[in-house]
Amino acid sequence: MQVTCNDRDPIFEDGTLAEWAALEAHAATCPLCAEEVRAWKSLSVAAGELRDYSDSPSFWPRIERALAEEAARNPRRAERQGWFSFLPSLSPAWPAALAGALVLILTLSAAWIYLRRPVDGRGTEDQSLLKSKALKEVESAETAYQRSIDKLAAEAKPQLESPATPLLADYHEKLLVLDSAIAELRAQAGMNPSNAQLRYQLLAMYEEKQHALEEVLETKR
Amino acid sequence: MGTMGLALPWKARISSMPRERGTRVEPSEHFAGGPRPALGEASSEDAALAAACRSGDLRAYDRLYTLHGARMKNLARNVLGNPSDAEDAVQETFLKVQRSIASFRGQSSFVTWTYRILINTCYDARRSRLRKKEVANDDSQETPRPEPRAPGAHPSLRMALERALAKLTQHQRDVFLLYEVEGFRHAEIAGMLEMTETASKNTLFQAKKNLRLMLEPPRDSAAETR
Repeated sequence: MQVTCNDRDPIFEDGTLAEWAALEAHAATCPLCAEEVRAWKSLSVAAGELRDYSDSPSFWPRIERALAEEAARNPRRAERQGWFSFLPSLSPAWPAALAGALVLILTLSAAWIYLRRPVDGRGTEDQSLLKSKALKEVESAETAYQRSIDKLAAEAKPQLESPATPLLADYHEKLLVLDSAIAELRAQAGMNPSNAQLRYQLLAMYEEKQHALEEVLETKR
Repeated sequence: MGTMGLALPWKARISSMPRERGTRVEPSEHFAGGPRPALGEASSEDAALAAACRSGDLRAYDRLYTLHGARMKNLARNVLGNPSDAEDAVQETFLKVQRSIASFRGQSSFVTWTYRILINTCYDARRSRLRKKEVANDDSQETPRPEPRAPGAHPSLRMALERALAKLTQHQRDVFLLYEVEGFRHAEIAGMLEMTETASKNTLFQAKKNLRLMLEPPRDSAAETR
């Protein structure tokens, strides 16, 4: 396998063993690549300096005590709570987000049930008509929800565009990732509009975005 | 801490023991590929550990700590910047695992799930620390505050790396720490940080590119041709 200097970065990013071997062979005759490969590898070696696995003897007993106390306090808590067990760790902004999400989920569920209900005695054309109607309802609910989130985004925009703190910069980054994921899902949903799974994924992304925006606005307050 | 005898062959399947210093060199995925199984694989051993934790058996948590406690604490220390906050985060993670184990459905491996909780707990701790600082009108930036730790072979290199890491984005820093320091694979990191494997690879590449520029700027062309 022959590689050139231009292949170096792609190999650094995701090179196979064979590609790395070829790069090393190339580096033997190319001082620039030799230096880059050395520097790249030295970062991995330097990372070892951040490894400190020294044990602290009092740490496990402390955790064990906390676990035992928790177990004694709430003997059947885990079973009772089921998958709502994350609720105690929610921030105060969540109830609003959760309420909004529930409304949307109910709307989507109703639309989905309506779309899927048996339609005995109706012809194919009628069924397709019902599906389209239900789909329209879903899409209009989705559009309304998206519009609300856009309003939130507009409110948070000044803070995000020139983030005053690293936390806001983190949020900005997260929102960019979410926007790109939403755009991708919307494109997929556009190609396959009746796929409920895509709609649910899209809803989850919107919820996450709403939550992130609320937290940004909360830091402002 | 006792090493309780849950007679399960976890050691053989889950990468539990932290690696030696500086053993990972590129291309790490391929070099590390053979002997070390992926955390993301829903192995029966992993499921057994999850089941034991679900049953409320404290020995299972002891086992989890024996296998992963040191690495969890090291990761938390590198994210949060000091051992005290790191211990709090690890303890909180164990409590969260205990509280929400009933909700664990096995979509990812139990260990990956645990690390995801740890990472989110560290994020929460950082946010709450930042909020407290903002309330107190403290102008200091939210960057990890390195505190003394066991001496390494190159303390100055470690400090330079810590300073450079603090300048990376959160994602870049986390992927670098998980991959290069803790030795997780991209598939595992993808599960922990809820991103794709490709995104994890790309983020690591960007992180290392930035670190390389900060720690060791490339020589100019004149120097290269020397």
